[in-house]
Amino acid sequence: MQLLRPESVEAAAAALGNGSVALAGGTDLVPMLRDRLVSAETLVELKEVVPRGVEGTRIGAGTTLAELEVDPEIPAALREACALAASPQLRSMGTIGGNLLQATRCWYWRLDFPCFLHGGSRCHAREGAHREHAIFGNERCASAHPSDPAAALLALGARVRTSRRELGLEELYRLPTEDDRNVTALEPGELILELDVPRPEASVYLKAMDRARWAFPLVGVAAARFADGVRLALAGVAPIPWRLDSETDLDRATPLPGTAYKVELARPLIRRALHSVT
Amino acid sequence: MARLIRTEKEVEGRYTEQWVVVEEDAAIDQWPAGPRETVGRPVPRVDGYERARGQALFTADVALPGMLHAAVLRSPYARARVRRLDLSRAREADWVLGAIGPDDCDALTLEPGFHGEPVAAVAVDSPGRAREALELIDVDWEELEPLLDPEEAVRRNELHEEPRRYERGDADAAFADADVVVEAEYRTQTVLHNPLETHQSVCRWEGDTLEVYISTQFIWGVRDDIAESLDLPPDRIRVICNFMGGGFGAKNGAHAQTFIAIALASQTGRPVRCALSRREENLATGNRNSTIQRLRAGARSDGTLVALEGEFVNAVGWKGWSGPTYGPMEMLYACENVRTLTYGAKLNLPPNAAFRAPGFVEGTFGLECLLDELAGRLELDPLELRARNHADRDLADDRPYSSKNLLECYRRAEPHWARRDAVRARSEGPWRRGVGLASQIWYGGGGPPSYAWVRIGSDGRATVITAMQDIGTGTRTAMAQIAAEELGLPLDRVRVSLGDSSRGPYASISAGSSTTPSMGPAVRAAAADAARQVIEIAAQRYHLEERLLTMQGGKVVSSDGGSWPLEEVTGLLEDAQILGKGARGPNPTGMRVLTFGIQVADVAVDVETGEVRVERIAAIHDVGRVINPLGAQSQVEGGIIQGVGHTLSEERLVDPASGIVLTQSLDAYKLPTIADVPEIVVELLDIPDEHLTNLGSKGLGEPPIVPTAAAIVNAIRDATGADVRSLPVSRDEMLRALREARERERAAAPA
Amino acid sequence: MLELVVNGGRYEVEAPIGQTLAETLRGPLGLTGTKIACGEGHCGACTVQLDGVPVLSCITLVHTVGEREVTTIEGLRDHPLVDAFVRADALQCGFCTPGQIVSAAALVEADPEPTPERIRHAMAGNLCRCGTYPRIEEALLTWRD
Ligand SMILES: Cc1cc2nc3c(=O)[nH]c(=O)nc-3n(C[C@H](O)[C@H](O)[C@H](O)COP(=O)(O)OP(=O)(O)OC[C@H]3O[C@@H](n4cnc5c(N)ncnc54)[C@H](O)[C@@H]3O)c2cc1C
Ligand code: SF4
Ligand code: FES
Ligand code: FES
Repeated sequence: MQLLRPESVEAAAAALGNGSVALAGGTDLVPMLRDRLVSAETLVELKEVVPRGVEGTRIGAGTTLAELEVDPEIPAALREACALAASPQLRSMGTIGGNLLQATRCWYWRLDFPCFLHGGSRCHAREGAHREHAIFGNERCASAHPSDPAAALLALGARVRTSRRELGLEELYRLPTEDDRNVTALEPGELILELDVPRPEASVYLKAMDRARWAFPLVGVAAARFADGVRLALAGVAPIPWRLDSETDLDRATPLPGTAYKVELARPLIRRALHSVT
Repeated sequence: MARLIRTEKEVEGRYTEQWVVVEEDAAIDQWPAGPRETVGRPVPRVDGYERARGQALFTADVALPGMLHAAVLRSPYARARVRRLDLSRAREADWVLGAIGPDDCDALTLEPGFHGEPVAAVAVDSPGRAREALELIDVDWEELEPLLDPEEAVRRNELHEEPRRYERGDADAAFADADVVVEAEYRTQTVLHNPLETHQSVCRWEGDTLEVYISTQFIWGVRDDIAESLDLPPDRIRVICNFMGGGFGAKNGAHAQTFIAIALASQTGRPVRCALSRREENLATGNRNSTIQRLRAGARSDGTLVALEGEFVNAVGWKGWSGPTYGPMEMLYACENVRTLTYGAKLNLPPNAAFRAPGFVEGTFGLECLLDELAGRLELDPLELRARNHADRDLADDRPYSSKNLLECYRRAEPHWARRDAVRARSEGPWRRGVGLASQIWYGGGGPPSYAWVRIGSDGRATVITAMQDIGTGTRTAMAQIAAEELGLPLDRVRVSLGDSSRGPYASISAGSSTTPSMGPAVRAAAADAARQVIEIAAQRYHLEERLLTMQGGKVVSSDGGSWPLEEVTGLLEDAQILGKGARGPNPTGMRVLTFGIQVADVAVDVETGEVRVERIAAIHDVGRVINPLGAQSQVEGGIIQGVGHTLSEERLVDPASGIVLTQSLDAYKLPTIADVPEIVVELLDIPDEHLTNLGSKGLGEPPIVPTAAAIVNAIRDATGADVRSLPVSRDEMLRALREARERERAAAPA
Repeated sequence: MLELVVNGGRYEVEAPIGQTLAETLRGPLGLTGTKIACGEGHCGACTVQLDGVPVLSCITLVHTVGEREVTTIEGLRDHPLVDAFVRADALQCGFCTPGQIVSAAALVEADPEPTPERIRHAMAGNLCRCGTYPRIEEALLTWRD
């Protein structure tokens, strides 16, 4: 294995693809390399090329969750989502860019079952153990998106600047299909450089988890109020961060037997989130 | 003179009769109750700095010259047959230094019965290449249909042993006569020990002696396991464990990793480390198995329990033992008519292992929740119901207790219990608050054999020598306190040397809450023997009568006024030393030695989201004399925190089709964090058991985890009216129970 | 050859790309106070500081450390927290303890008088299976006494 430390975005982009992967804080990537869920001959360290820090509404993708958690300049929903994510050490290491691109925590996927998301033909979680899994968009893959900040950023209507283009956060994510099992629309070698996060009038992030700290969201609800209305987005309910217009959208959920409780759980959280921003 | 006696021995509720040799000790009287110079006073751990500074050498830190690292090929299936196992590619690779299969080591098998069972192993000189080496093993697997459902195993009679049946009195007649009968089914989940130091051993041959460094709770058990299975003379096996990183019951024997390391050390002629990864730990080293409990209780309208009945299914796994889930039902209350039936289902799941009060944690959850349902039906105060059914004598074995102060525990619980109106009144919005309680019964008397030596040098310092282990429970400190007390020495003049089977006498297992009650009396006896010799010497040197002399404050003191620093007396010996020997005497015959207690939990439940917060737990336990109140408090808190995890967040999950364990890592298996911990109030009665040994101390490692789940779940019922009957109380279970309670209320409401 | 600054000293070590900081500390540098209890970022036993920030050394690749100064428990042996932990009995088996103290030292550096809430937030990444949490809280509330 080799480690590259490119000093420009172009050099980094050129080094990527073809058996090399981007390394930010490494909190997700390093364990996956060990588990051989990702194989790479070359690691491309992004430290020097991806911006870090907050400037106005712009957040460098290399900013750590720990930095965001205490930054009074950023919207409350994002701050709270960062504070409730992972553990203190992981937040000190993990970047917001890496957080948006973290892989699913579905235990079947992590144990390398040959499931749909790994390119196989079926979802093992559907008939298997799935209490942490999805209630929306779960037809092919029932995994639940683990990122708290992604839900917050989705509610906030954040935009993403990559090394190639600018796109809305909702365009960054896609449900996996027969033909493409990726859950993001990022192209090989494309880097996330910056986020642009509009300032809401008020925002909040509420998270239900299995312990008081350091657990992935069973359901996370972000709400942000703008002049033209409130935007809602959920973590832990679909293979990607999921937008809802209102609580009644929950009636259209397609829970598995073991995830029906998440619908019940989402209702009061949505109500409380709405109450808190309006 | 050595005395041979036949006595009863109990470990975690299992009794055996055995011969033991006890030194003739001039019966030492117990100290009067209450704090003494050192014993009974809070003392920081004597090895605290070594541990806190990272200087303590754990098995994980043992690195011997030339040491190799083993990696284990484990079954990826819950049940399989290995059609062909070919080690030749591994053996041919020059960087793979050892490779073994079932022919070389009994801990390996070609017919694995659970996911993670060891099949083959290799040794390499760099831990980084271990997995690569495993890929050189060629295996042809035949995957077989696993049996995973405990009820199905019972139907098919796939059991570890004959169903256990117990009956006293006539339960059927008593149920027929009862004014009120309640019944319910309770379920507990599988939980994993997860000591932070995983199971590991380093083995090396030194001439014809086998050295085994191991993270263990029982040095001598390891030695015996190895001697027996390798047919070696026990004295040619040296077992060493100076510091160990937690066990909680899972590290009571040699375990597969030791046999694998030995076989590879024999094959390669080099020291071999076999250390499990966290994931291997959570596959193959044991668990508290899940249970299904169908329970029934009958009572008269005044609350007198007239009948109890339980059917228990223990989902034991492929190996292991069927634990005493029935124990609390048979032992806790003065109920004349009790019937239990217990199955130990044999399943293609990882084997269980003793886990802090095995069986009783599970059984207490069921029984004590049922008792609260009964109290509800009888409209009786739950504490009153328990007091009314207090057992003055053990009905299961028909024996008196050596001591029992449970009623005093109940009395001390009253102020905590009386807070419940105030706690409930603090309910606001979706947060409902309530208080619950549960009683505790468990073993913890320890027993012989256990031996200790106390050596006093010419510098007037003492060393306690015994080949026990301190698994983090603070026994090193407790033993130092006991010796210091008996020798009249300040604590900093006593050291404890332990952890090495070739450098000290036989010592007890650190399980079953037995270390302090087993070892403490032996240490005291050894110290008394040493003190007697000091006094004999002083009497001769200073021409005094022995009966006038005592050891106090680091001096030999005469009741007629004189005193001599200890080092002046022992200094006469120059380099020679005084050696005292002590043995643990037998337990009181014909008596039941048990521990008792009660816990009162305050909880808050968000009835919309199902979030449960345990806000406070008051724990009142009767464990005899307390040696170190500071260490004891830590033990109680630790037990309760494990209980909170057991109640709220921990659960091992397996894939229901394949039996593959899904929650191997600590992101998926959720141990409590510091943020999950309630306020804990600890009250220990500290009343010596006058019949038990020269100390009157019982064990304390396990009692605190026993009632926690039931107390929390009873508090949840008090707060919300919801009946939780299954652990853990995750959001799914809490929301289900709340929904059921709402529906019940709606159905009961007048139209 | 790789240069590392550890506890104030400069070291040269040989390490293949992919080796973690924890492996390097425990192996070639012989600093076994840093424990590995999961090796995958899930427990906090391996916590060390990089320029004062607590990180998990078991998932930090040693080649990414660069010029940042590594502080391990061996560098904190005389920190008053050690005394506070022992006095409060904030350790049982002691396997998690070095990691706890490294995290706690960073916390008190940032906030010498942390509230219980802050302690619970900042220490949540260090698991202790023995359940020393209430004592740890006490040690952090009383460390300057
Ligand atoms: C035990 C554990 C618990 C956690 N709990 C939570 C939780 O509760 N909530 C939550 O939201 N998160 C949680 N996380 C996720 C954690 O926040 C992320 O792992 C972390 O933020 C990822 O950032 P990183 O910099 O370490 O990414 P890395 O691990 O370095 O990278 C992750 C992925 O992103 C790619 N990548 C990184 N940066 C870029 C970039 N700028 N452009 C393109 N590609 C990039 C990498 O190639 C890799 O594929 C948890 C993680 C762990 C290990
Ligand atoms: S939920 Fe998705 S990742 Fe999990 S098993 Fe199903 S397809 Fe695979
Ligand atoms: S050993 Fe690094 S987090 Fe567990
Ligand atoms: S003291 Fe044992 S794990 Fe923390």
